[in-house]
Amino acid sequence: MQLLAQVLVNGVLLGGLYALMALGLALVWGVLNIVNLAHGALIMLGAYVGYYLFTLLDVDPFIALPIAMVVLFCVGYLLQAGILNLIARAAMFNTLLITFGIDVVLTQLAQMLFSADYRTINPGYAGANFMLFGITLPWVRVLAFAVALLLTLAMWLFLLHTRLGRGIRATAQNLGAARLYGVSPKRIYALTFGIGAALAGGAGDLYGVVSQINPYIGATLTAKSFAIAIIGGLESPLGVVVGGIFLGIVESLTALYIGPTFVDVASFGILVLVLIFRPNGLLGSTT
Amino acid sequence: MSGNLLEVQGLFAGYGEVPVLRDVHIAVGRGEIVALVGSNGAGKTTLLRALSRVLSGTGKLTFEGRDLSCLTPEQVFKLGIVQVPEGRQLFDQMTVLENLMMGAFARRDRKAIQETLASVYELFPKLYERRTQRAGSLSGGEQQMCAIGRALMAMPRLLMVDEMSLGLAPVIVDQLLEVLSTIRKQGVTVLLVEQDVFAALEVADRGYVMETGTVTQSGTAQALSEDPEVKRAYLGI
Repeated sequence: MQLLAQVLVNGVLLGGLYALMALGLALVWGVLNIVNLAHGALIMLGAYVGYYLFTLLDVDPFIALPIAMVVLFCVGYLLQAGILNLIARAAMFNTLLITFGIDVVLTQLAQMLFSADYRTINPGYAGANFMLFGITLPWVRVLAFAVALLLTLAMWLFLLHTRLGRGIRATAQNLGAARLYGVSPKRIYALTFGIGAALAGGAGDLYGVVSQINPYIGATLTAKSFAIAIIGGLESPLGVVVGGIFLGIVESLTALYIGPTFVDVASFGILVLVLIFRPNGLLGSTT
Repeated sequence: MSGNLLEVQGLFAGYGEVPVLRDVHIAVGRGEIVALVGSNGAGKTTLLRALSRVLSGTGKLTFEGRDLSCLTPEQVFKLGIVQVPEGRQLFDQMTVLENLMMGAFARRDRKAIQETLASVYELFPKLYERRTQRAGSLSGGEQQMCAIGRALMAMPRLLMVDEMSLGLAPVIVDQLLEVLSTIRKQGVTVLLVEQDVFAALEVADRGYVMETGTVTQSGTAQALSEDPEVKRAYLGI
């Protein structure tokens, strides 16, 4: 019982971070209709920003988080303004090809610049735990979980209650009508992609604290984010949180009861089941 | 004629190689309601698209004496030429209030936006009642109110209303036409594009009849609605 509770808590903590990872992907997908295959590579870059700020300048990873987000926002904005706007609203296949190309370039660049070595962001408090009802809670994971949820909430409030957030949603719902009222789609697209990349950057920084990083983590993280976006649905950030936590729990349980090598089988198996039975996501409307 | 708000002279426009509009001349004076009528496929919507520069064409387009032909759609919008598109084109998943606020997206003057919002609610009390409801859940008439309200939020100088009556009950159409008269009294010029010829001519000062891409008749609304040619073509009398 104790073990099960511990595993469930681990799963939830991991799931919060997963949700933040998937949030940027879901946002870009919903607004731009681009499944960004380079999303994981952006997470990877965010992780390296956090890593180098910590090792070279001794910046605490939780303080480095906003910096990683700003850096990645710029990367994302420039990618969209410079490259992806050329294929805005093009067929899905074109966008897949281009974002796959960006993924390859970013991954190779990272390998050349940062080497293929495994790294981890390891602040002094990395091993510190506290106990609650007999369950061990590592501080960094709890903090990462809290920050991930806060960022998700902030994102949601931004979309709902600001002028730009409204513009982003309007563009997603009816591009033609948005243009009639002075919305410049290219600017909105660049901004949205920048925000998606910033969320990836923040997630990457947190990921570097709780896990190991190397230039190749991107592909797996893209796939996980994709699965979470599908499971949660693209309709609201709440769905992404549910999807992320759901996946975190499934992975933790699978690792314990079936074996760590089956984690991906379970998560992608569930992806397939969701696509068959609830194609609009766990929280999505059934119609 | 230089006192006109909008002037179109010798406009040719179309899609690809096929010209839809051939040598169109129209003028809209300040504070007028001008009806642009004609059956489906006459080129009315194409003319609106050419005016808002979504579609390029050749000919002279001026707004307050300013040449429109070198402007982008965004710049035309900023001059105050605002469309209420055919089929309303609301943001269905967003609330009525959010739809209205999208009309003011390009404006940064918060206080003045609130004042415009208040005047839109005054014009359409229904929209105030329904302000937190999703636009997609409104009735057709309310959706059209929301679309007009959204355009008014942009503080138009020239409001171009495309097929407002489409799919609406006559009694609702009459209400909306009355609102357009009120809007005109508040200083907004209206270009009303309609298939429902006689409804449009009821509120308009002047009218143009379009057929197959060109203006075939023009005159005061009263003269047009009494014209035997127009009656035969659009009422079957």
